[in-house]
Amino acid sequence: MQLTLEFGGGLELLCDSVKIHKVNVDLPDESHILTMKDLLKWVRTNLIKERPEMFIKGDTVRPGVLVLVNDCDWELSGQLETTLEEKDVVVFISTLHGG
Amino acid sequence: MEAGEAKSKKAGGPRLCCICNLRRPVLKRPKTLQQICRECFYEVFEEEIHQVIVKNHLFKSGERVAIGASGGKDSTVLAYVLSELNKRHSYGLDLFLLSIDEGITGYRDDSLETVKRNEVQYGLPLQIVSYKDLYGWTMDDIVKMIGLKNNCTFCGVFRRQALDRGAALLKVDKIVTGHNADDIAETVLLNILRGDIARLSRCTSITTGEDGPIPRYYFSTECIYSPNAYRGFAREFIKDLERLRPKAILDIIKSGEDFRIATTTKMPEQGTCERCGYISSQKWCKACVLLEGLNRGLPKMGIGRSRAGDVNGDLHNKNESKSGPTVKSIESRKQCGSLDF
Amino acid sequence: MAKSNLLFIHFSSSSFSSRRRPGLLKHLSRRLSQTACEFDMACNSSGCESGGCSEREKENGSKIEESAVAGGVSQESVCVKCKCNEPMTFGDGGSDDGRFCADCFRNNVYGKFRLAVTSHAMITPSDNVLVAFSGGSSSRVALQFVHDLQIKALKNFEASRDRSLPVFGVGVAFVDESGAYPALSTEMDDAVAWIRSTVSSLSKDLHVVPIESVFGSDSVEARDRLVKLLESVSDETGKEDLVLHLRMLSLQKVASENGYNRLVVGSCTSRIASHVLTATVKGRGYSLSADIQHVDARWKVPIVFPLRDCVWQEITRFCQLDSLKTMELARHPQSGINELVSTFVALLQEENPSRECTIVRTAAKLTPFHFNKIPETDDSNVPMATQRRLKKFNLKYDGSMTTEAFCPICNGPLNGSDSSDFNTFEEECNESDALYAACCSSCRFQILPQDRSSLERFGSFLPHQILSHQKKVNSQAYLREKIKDCLILDNDGEEAV
Repeated sequence: MQLTLEFGGGLELLCDSVKIHKVNVDLPDESHILTMKDLLKWVRTNLIKERPEMFIKGDTVRPGVLVLVNDCDWELSGQLETTLEEKDVVVFISTLHGG
Repeated sequence: MEAGEAKSKKAGGPRLCCICNLRRPVLKRPKTLQQICRECFYEVFEEEIHQVIVKNHLFKSGERVAIGASGGKDSTVLAYVLSELNKRHSYGLDLFLLSIDEGITGYRDDSLETVKRNEVQYGLPLQIVSYKDLYGWTMDDIVKMIGLKNNCTFCGVFRRQALDRGAALLKVDKIVTGHNADDIAETVLLNILRGDIARLSRCTSITTGEDGPIPRYYFSTECIYSPNAYRGFAREFIKDLERLRPKAILDIIKSGEDFRIATTTKMPEQGTCERCGYISSQKWCKACVLLEGLNRGLPKMGIGRSRAGDVNGDLHNKNESKSGPTVKSIESRKQCGSLDF
Repeated sequence: MAKSNLLFIHFSSSSFSSRRRPGLLKHLSRRLSQTACEFDMACNSSGCESGGCSEREKENGSKIEESAVAGGVSQESVCVKCKCNEPMTFGDGGSDDGRFCADCFRNNVYGKFRLAVTSHAMITPSDNVLVAFSGGSSSRVALQFVHDLQIKALKNFEASRDRSLPVFGVGVAFVDESGAYPALSTEMDDAVAWIRSTVSSLSKDLHVVPIESVFGSDSVEARDRLVKLLESVSDETGKEDLVLHLRMLSLQKVASENGYNRLVVGSCTSRIASHVLTATVKGRGYSLSADIQHVDARWKVPIVFPLRDCVWQEITRFCQLDSLKTMELARHPQSGINELVSTFVALLQEENPSRECTIVRTAAKLTPFHFNKIPETDDSNVPMATQRRLKKFNLKYDGSMTTEAFCPICNGPLNGSDSSDFNTFEEECNESDALYAACCSSCRFQILPQDRSSLERFGSFLPHQILSHQKKVNSQAYLREKIKDCLILDNDGEEAV
């Protein structure tokens, strides 16, 4: 599945300072949908190069990381359960650092 | 079937923006839990800031105001909102952007670029003051001399003065900074955790430093090096709290405002530095003590409690001694990257 | 009867404790009569030594080396206090592990208790004190110490020729919270039996009261009201806090109905540190300083906190050392804000063993209220030593005896900003508005139901004490509003402080 992932607010530092990643994520085995939960796992293994604890806490993002799916706060779309579709844009912004 | 459901989920269900009832909501405001759309969010957000400004009589018409701009989110938003409100409500302010260049290679470059973009975007004149110009030392030079340990002491102390000196260059009446509610809540907690009652009494006040050279409204400093362990815990704690009860952040600030702190609680005496004229509770201000150390090749001077005392103690011995020992600890316990008022 | 597996009774099994226990009282009272003043000295230094309040040094990083050296010395096994006995090792890596010998450790903890009691006139000879006992370590130690103090007073009484000074009385109260937390009911019989046997040697008067007793004497109806009241509170944290307030009401009820004039609560430094943060997080900054002092006399029966200066680790070690048995009921697990704060404080404490002390010390610098001391009594009953101490410590109080208004739910003093709604409040308005107007902003948010009909229901289930209190607040506010223009604005000046 083609997705655009954006990291901001300092999170880009965790993945080689690249802010925008156009990625192709495989659907998890025996499933034909991709949820944010799956995507976070994928990002954790494939994109985050250092200090993953700055991004993930437990099975979700660290408190203070803002997640937007197609410009819409994921709190409105079901957070981890949000299902993703082809060409979706997911933005992660850390609000933890600096003003 | 599933896809259909997903679509409706993504559209935020059948719900519409709580305020205009027209557009689809894009976010849930932590403060009110309202689901609102982009347009309404801008509107209420800007209106709230306007109310804060009006209610607290922050500005007078004709004033020159510097916006402490770090290039980060908060100060960028502040620059935008303030220039917007200044036009919309005819505050009659002369606005400036004021940035500090610590001289850390690869650290400020990006954010200074952002500030320069802001300068063009909002048509606000920009003044950049650098450590190099003010003190003759960049942070890179300092780190080369003293290593990574303790460099935040220099950075913090120098930055405090740099803003004021930059403000003097611009001849502004006030400095505005982009501290947000999270920052202030965090400061309240940290001051409790480290037992700093003097700061605790000051940190929620919307204006600080009225007795200083220039009244300044919140400024935030950031540092990517060696944060204190409990500072990290506190930040995460606040985010956990917000998740559980969004109102908690505002409640912490309310608590901070309501604490019964007697005015008799010892506050450091304020005087002026004999060397540079900056406000100081000691003969020399902290920046001058640190600078003296750097220039004399004794960079450890002024770091830590006892040593900070030594330098000024030295001076006292040569001249007459004046201030008690209690004052020193307050200066030197300043935390790296902390919000200094 | 089948033994419930929810009841945990901890028998501490440290090697030296079993032979120590029977002799402790004798030992303590002997030490006491020998050198009463020694405790004060021990405590002055210990306040920082055992609590490890050497925070500043640690934060500056400058003294870390030194303390490591000190630790090294004590490894060579001499008690840092008496410099002769072998120090105890708990092997838990705590801050005072391997520092004190058993005797000095005991003296140190008891000394803090005794200093608190004497310097704040918590217990005087003519008093009749009720110890709130939950079965946990803190209240167990508090009960033990109060008992020891009584034994000593009895001895003095018998030894004195004229027998002029009476000996204070000691009662114990346990509040059965199974009405609020049904999960507790299966183990409650066992728990109460355990408490009876534990307390029997320490006090003749044990009062076991169900928490719903504040709703009236008909136990079925009372429990029903309690359940319905709690059901109408939607916020989990609010529910927990409401139960705490009701528990305090029950304790007050027992105390005043049975002629006690002091209530001893065993809250330790660690508990108070958590309270400082929860209160801050709940927006209770104004009333906070009322809750964390040694004495809280805003209640009908003044509450005293003699273990306020002891940290949890000391308390549990003391229990371990002297084989004081404790009982942890499988309480309703904390949730929400309270739980989050406890976890946070535990984390901080781990990072720096003196953090709890620092938190409490910071909060202690806030200005207390006029009721944070034992009300002036007949001076002849207060021993000279105590009078001197009170003078010596010259505790700062809010001198003005303004009649404070209190939130009817939590009994927290109301701030100016809380009562801003009074301005629009009319005596004629309906009951739920009146309740809302009388409460502090924190209770309004987390305890009072938000919609009108639930609020009405909630109000109808509240115990009578709370309702009558609320009426009082309303009428006070009403009066205040009416005569506002005639008042000299001395109040404003005070609040700005």
